[in-house]
Parts: sequence; C-alpha cells; structure tokens
Amino acid sequence: MVSEVSDANTAHNTTQHGWQRWLPAMLAVALVFTMLAAACVGAVHVPLSLLVKSLLGGAPLTDDQRIILLSIRLPRIIAAAIVGSALSVSGLLFQGLFRNPLADPYVIGSSGGAVLGASIGVFLLPSISIAGFGATTMFAFIGAVSSILLVYWLAHVDGHTPVVGLLLAGFAVSTMLSYSSYFLEVMDHDFGTGMKVLSSWLHGSIAQPTWPQLLIVFILLCAGLLGSFPLARHLNTLALGEEYATNLGLSVQQIRIAVIVIGSILTAAAVALGGLISFAGLIVPHILRMILGPDHLRLLPSTALAGALFLLIADTVARTVIAPSELPVGVLTAFIGGPFFLYLLRKTKQGVMS
Amino acid sequence: MKPLIEFDDLSFSYKDRAVIRTINAAVFQDECIAIVGPNGVGKTTLLRLASGTLTPASGAVRLQGRDLSTYKQRDIAQSIAFVPQHVDLPFSFTVEQFIEQGRTPFRGLFDGLKARDRSVLRRAMELTDTWSLRSRIFNELSGGERQRVKIALGLAQEPKLLLLDEPMQNLDIGRQFEMLDLLDTLRREGIAIISSMHDLGLIEGTFSSVWLLSQDEPMRQGSPEEMLQPELLEEIFNCPPRHRPRLMERTLNRMEYAL
Repeated sequence: MVSEVSDANTAHNTTQHGWQRWLPAMLAVALVFTMLAAACVGAVHVPLSLLVKSLLGGAPLTDDQRIILLSIRLPRIIAAAIVGSALSVSGLLFQGLFRNPLADPYVIGSSGGAVLGASIGVFLLPSISIAGFGATTMFAFIGAVSSILLVYWLAHVDGHTPVVGLLLAGFAVSTMLSYSSYFLEVMDHDFGTGMKVLSSWLHGSIAQPTWPQLLIVFILLCAGLLGSFPLARHLNTLALGEEYATNLGLSVQQIRIAVIVIGSILTAAAVALGGLISFAGLIVPHILRMILGPDHLRLLPSTALAGALFLLIADTVARTVIAPSELPVGVLTAFIGGPFFLYLLRKTKQGVMS
Repeated sequence: MKPLIEFDDLSFSYKDRAVIRTINAAVFQDECIAIVGPNGVGKTTLLRLASGTLTPASGAVRLQGRDLSTYKQRDIAQSIAFVPQHVDLPFSFTVEQFIEQGRTPFRGLFDGLKARDRSVLRRAMELTDTWSLRSRIFNELSGGERQRVKIALGLAQEPKLLLLDEPMQNLDIGRQFEMLDLLDTLRREGIAIISSMHDLGLIEGTFSSVWLLSQDEPMRQGSPEEMLQPELLEEIFNCPPRHRPRLMERTLNRMEYAL
C-alpha cells in the first residue's frame, strides 16, 4: 500500500522556477529583517530607525537600551533562530531516515531523550560540568542518540517503519523519558539546583542564554548543517526503500548512523537552548516540501532558514503577547503544530496500518 | 563466450525452509530468461541472490567469472539492475528525480549530475518512452507508466543484466504487449534479462529460455517450446485436471491467439 502524502497535485519540475531558486535568499533577507524587528519589541520599545542607525555606526543608544539589546534581546533572538533551524533540519533528516513525513525530533522521542540526558547532566553529575553548558549539551546528545536508537529498534520491522509503530514507540519513549526527568527534579527538590532549568525545558521555552553558550550551540548547528549536505542526496535514494537503496549500492547502514548522529547533534543543540519544543521540525519541512518538492538537497538550505524564521516569530509572539509575563514558545508551537500534525496523520491514514 | 552470470550449486533457505536447492545455470549476454513456477517457490529469492542482496547458504553466484560476494554492492550496481515489483515512495518525487537515483552507483559523495549522467538518463527515458513523463509525480502514474519508469531507473545504471520481478503484474493487455516490445528493444541493446513471469502466454517470442522452478524437483531449463508443455505445467503448478484445456490455451502464444 502506498503511504504517500501527496504534497501537492501540481507537478514539480526538476528545473526550478526562477523564484524557487531564490527562495533561500528571500528567506535569508526575511530572517535578517525579522531579527531587527524582533529586537525592537518588548517591555522597552526601541524604535527600528534608532536601531538601524546605531548599527550603522552612529550610536545614539542609551545605556539601558544597549544593555537590553545586547545582553537580553539579541541573545534571545539568536537563540530562537538557532533552535528553530536545528529542529527543522533534524526534522527533515529524521523524515528522510524514517521515510515518513510525520517524523520530528519531538514526535519520535529524541527531544525527550535529550532533555533526560541534559537533566542527568544537571542533577546527577553537576561536577562534570567542566564548561558548564558544554557538558549539558553533550549529555543531551547522548540522550538523543540513545532514545532514537531505542525508537528505531522498536518501530523498524523488516526494512519498514510503519507509521503506527513509529508514533506509538515515539510516544511511549518520550513519555517515559519526560517523566524520568520529572523524577529527577522531584528527587533533587531539596537542593533546588536546577529546578527552574528543568521546568523550562519540559515546557519548551527559550532560555536567556549567555554569549559563550550561544557560541557553543552555534558551532553545533554549523557542524550539523555541514554534515547534512552530503547526506541529503542519499536520503533521496533511501526514500526508494531499504532494499532498493542497497541494490543501488548505497551503504544504508552507514547513512543511517550518520543521519542519527547528525540529527541528534542538532536536536541536542536545540534542546539545550529551548527544551521540548513540539512540532517545529514537522511543520517547516512539510510546508517547504509543498513548495519545492521532496528533493532533500534542495530542501536543506530553505529548511534551515525558514526554521529559524518560524521559531523566531513564534518566540517573539510568545514573549510579548501576554506581557509582562511570558508564554513558553512550546505552548505556541503545540497550538499551531498539533492540528497540523493531526491533519497530516489524517492524510496518511490509508498508509497507517501498512 | 564467457557467461555473464552463473549460478553454481546455489542454495538458499529462509530459517528452516529451503527455498532454492542446488541450482546450476548460466546466462549469456544475449539471453532473455523467464523464471516460471508456482507462488512461493523462490522466483524473487533467486533474483535477489543474483543481485547480491541475499547471500547464498551454499554455492555461489558468479558475475563475469568472479564470486559476487567479493564485489562491493556499488560495483554490482554498475553491472546488475534489479527492478522490484513494488515501490513505495513516501514523498512526491517526480519521475525524473526517481530515475536519477539510477546514477547512484556512479556518483561520488559530493558529485552533482554530470553531462554524461544526463545523457545516460535521457537515453534511459527515451528507450522506455518515459521522457514525456519526466515532470509527473511518480505516485500519480498508472501501473504501466510506473513499470516503464522503474525500468528506466534500472537502465540509468547502464546494466549488463536486468533483473525484473513480475514486470507484467497489474498491466492491461495493451501495456503487456508494450512491455514485451520494450524487452525486445533492451535485448537488442545487448542487455541480458532475467525476469520472473506469471503469464505463461507472454513468454514465447520474446524470451530465449525458460527456467522452471518447482517445489520438490530440481530446476528445469530449456527453450519456451520445451518448457511450456501442458503436461509439465499441470504437474508443477498442481493444476486441477479438469482445467487442462484452459491451461493449454494459456500457454499458446498470446500474440497469435489475440490476432
């Protein structure tokens, strides 16, 4: 049975239309403008014209404005962009790996694994935090890899990953992992070291990062993106199915391991800054697939940029919509992504049991 | 002339169930072979052994004199193309994007499609009459179009040997004749073909020999005239005797029969 989500009924020409070729550039420009605009909004309003002037050299900013921009808003904006980009690209990779448009780091439990890994790092082994944040990210990575291997092992039968199996395994594993993280929090209650960290992780909220933290995560994002490019074309071959890809001389096992490692690096980077943000990795690649077709190599740059743009907008809304208090951005993405996920599930329904 | 591919005392079993038992056969460059036999007798298994995705339990498959297990899968893919019965694509790839995958065994990690790749792809599409389909979505094609597109992917591998698993499945009679014409064309291009076949009426005229697999006996091989004998088929397919006239009818050359 064909478990296809027919993305669009129109034919995607392999020769791209002009504007499709320019999509990454358009997204990059949009991202820069959105970053500037997002820097202006918040409790203290900074006019856009003032911001642009100060960036161009004339610096008529007050000290308050400078502090707000440089140590609060700008890190937060960059963090949101990094998280969105990392989640979307890892979503794209996992969708290719599982040959399933419903895969996403949240859905398949790799985010949950990253949170548990990070919690273990914070609660049980705080002494190992040599570089503080760096160690947390490493634990998050280990957690992400382990949980994805577990889900893969549970859901992968005879060269196929049936939708139902994937969703159930992902659901069970991520529930187990999230509550394990809660357990750690409760056990740690008396000490209160990382409680606030954990609750923001579990709700999916972009933390207020420091510049060194941002640098580490940005390096991880770049490494993940660089690693994704040579994999993207192989994911197209893998889409034909495991046996077909093997027949074409693809080293399926190696590609699979590489995708799991790189997808987990990206998940870990995202989780370290934003915790459990649901469905972002699902929405962005899917919408782009409707526009650009399913070629993973063509999707990759646009997914990285559109993911950053999407989460930046979501996070800016989340931190301003009920000001002075803040909504975790995970709440917002769940509101948008949940129905979207159900819609996709409905569309793939005929393939669910296969 | 050296055989292109040889099966030497080849055996294979799934767990305890022996599927392929000591097959000895050879295929030469100008041959077109039909594998015939009842369901579950191991036709697809034999094709998988020939493509190197299954490893024999004992005996060997030899490609141009060398044991297939000593080749890398990528090198096998440059000589042997396997066209499976079903393809399940999870995304809406175009026909062109699908057929491009046939160049996988020739492309390096960072290589784009080169001029040579493009000319091979174009030729594969022209031979299979799929050039006009190239912008269509694979999952939206009809059964006959899909079959030709899958063969185009195989041809993009520039194979010496094409393995086809039930290529006539789900095709209407007109598309079946088209497929026979395509096989004739490929044979003239110098591509050897091994194909599992259900429809016995389509074999004569196109295929040069028939391998008859049976549950309990060794494989028989011979010309279509020798192998497609109602008495033999009745026994191997375990046909109820009262349907004998119909069996004879089915093994007549369908081409003549249709005229």
